[in-house]
Amino acid sequence: MALTEDPGKPRNLAERVQRVQDAVYSAIFHNYVWQSIFRSGYPNTPRNQMLVVATNIFLHLHPTRIHRTHVKITHTYCLGGLTFFMFLILTVTGVLLMFYYVPSVDSAYQDIAALETNVKFGLLMRNMHRWTAHAMVILVFLHMMRVFYTGAYKPPREFNWVVGVILLVLTLVLSFTGYLLPWDQLALWAVTVGHGIGGSAPFFGDETQLIVFGGFEVGPSTLIRFYTLHVIALPLIAAVFMAVHFWRIRRDGGMARPL
Amino acid sequence: MAVETRAVARPAAKARPRPRREREEEVLVWPDLVFVEFIAATLFTITFLMLSVFINAPLLNRANPELTPNPSKAPWYFLNLQELLLHMDKAWAGVLLPTIALGFFASIPYIDRTRSGQGVWFGSKNAVRLTLVSAAYSVIVVAALVSFDSGDRTYTEQLTRWIPSCNAEAQHQGLPCLQDAEGEAHTGFLSTKDISKRLQFSVPFPNALGVDDSNLDWPGDLDRIPVPFNNVCGNVGSFHLWCDMNLNIPSIMAEQVIPLSTVVGLAVAIIYVLFRVGWLRTKRDLFIVMFTAVLVSYLALAMVGSFFRGEGQNLIWPWEIKVDEG
Ligand code: HEM
Repeated sequence: MALTEDPGKPRNLAERVQRVQDAVYSAIFHNYVWQSIFRSGYPNTPRNQMLVVATNIFLHLHPTRIHRTHVKITHTYCLGGLTFFMFLILTVTGVLLMFYYVPSVDSAYQDIAALETNVKFGLLMRNMHRWTAHAMVILVFLHMMRVFYTGAYKPPREFNWVVGVILLVLTLVLSFTGYLLPWDQLALWAVTVGHGIGGSAPFFGDETQLIVFGGFEVGPSTLIRFYTLHVIALPLIAAVFMAVHFWRIRRDGGMARPL
Repeated sequence: MAVETRAVARPAAKARPRPRREREEEVLVWPDLVFVEFIAATLFTITFLMLSVFINAPLLNRANPELTPNPSKAPWYFLNLQELLLHMDKAWAGVLLPTIALGFFASIPYIDRTRSGQGVWFGSKNAVRLTLVSAAYSVIVVAALVSFDSGDRTYTEQLTRWIPSCNAEAQHQGLPCLQDAEGEAHTGFLSTKDISKRLQFSVPFPNALGVDDSNLDWPGDLDRIPVPFNNVCGNVGSFHLWCDMNLNIPSIMAEQVIPLSTVVGLAVAIIYVLFRVGWLRTKRDLFIVMFTAVLVSYLALAMVGSFFRGEGQNLIWPWEIKVDEG
């Protein structure tokens, strides 16, 4: 009714501005293309707000409603989410680094050095990749502490805690495999320490060195192994476990709260 | 007005059973949660962009397998394992203890199955105290053990200096004594490794089991004890059987039995004390103490490795560190 009614001439400036706003709003959010992408309108009503979360694959990681205490920053400090966000930044910056990096002992170091000086924003991308990688390791530990001290591993979330422990290991191994790639003195000798530690495994020491590091010393075969693990195998595995982790949070009835 | 009405209505509301789904306690994810996430992500993006503009990632000289930097260090989150390598058998330090720690983490929810106290920070009665005590205790224990195990730099060797110097001429050292390096002044235990390297003593022993002079000498007679079936040699697939395997009892004592029982003993001690004091009552309490201890020791050992280890992995002050990159 109200919509079809002719509104008549605007009576004052405020009403005129309001009309323009409405027109722009509906041109943006009610047009054919927008609605082909986002099925719901702009999330400005409770209905649309729930629809946008339920129909968007990225937001769909969330439930549509959440308990009041869980949006308090001091409950999670966003630590799990930020760990995931670091993973996303690392993926983006990592792909950019891959454009310039060839994983061979002959070229790896030069590639990184050239990336820093000859490539626009190359140094920035490398720095971002490095610092967010450290941040991810710190954040995953803090997240684990948050989960532990809020008792959120208790039933029915036992298994998601175990998935978390696996993600912790994956994060450390991702970081460690990346450490070798610049092929500088820091990289080589840090990984050599790790190589020694791997070799001290009872009964399987030699096997660990051969299979994981590709030999009895850190060399070309270690580099290509670590590269492959770092850029494809481990990120994929981590992504799968993260998917399980997030799925389970929803399946286990959302985040833990007092009984 | 409204406030007053509420205050009156409260007691009645309390008596009512808790609703199964507390709709009114819930908020919409868009905007309430998405907004928080957006702000957090933006803040982190800006922070890391700024950090990356101002601080460059390290890039040293090209890797050179001929030149070992002194000290060479693992990444910081593995420096704790590297630190442990200095104090105990490398298989325990590098592989077994970390595996046990991860196994312990994973098993926590399967042992502590109570549901109470979840969803709030430190939700059980003594949680905060237990965490603080355990954290402080772990820092002190790590600092003390690391110091003790580098005697010549922390002067803890003075505690054991009363053990006499060995009489180099004597064929058997009757009472326990310490062998000093030639030309060096007498010191006590420089580290637990000295138990297998410098400590010597003999006990009268019947001639058997490889002892032929009526004296069992530490470490001389004990460092090659054949294990049963140590003449079985060969490979099964790529897996080699123990061929000619001998136990080195002094080094097992110094690098496995003593360090591990020290760690376990100190852990049991604090747990027992907290139990007797009455703070530690449930499995949850026990796990708070253990989880905190593992994480804090992990962090403290990484700090020791990062800031207090210099050339030759000697214990030094952070401002004395310089790396010889070869
Ligand atoms: C790559 C690593 C990880 C990512 C990206 C991640 C992500 C997340 C996110 C986004 C949440 C939602 C709540 C929050 O933000 O705190 C969460 C919850 C949870 N995480 Fe993780 N996590 C990771 C590692 C871990 C680890 C190491 C553990 C434990 C050992 C763990 C155990 C849990 C549990 C039990 C929950 C449910 C918490 C609750 O119900 O309150 N996660 N995780």
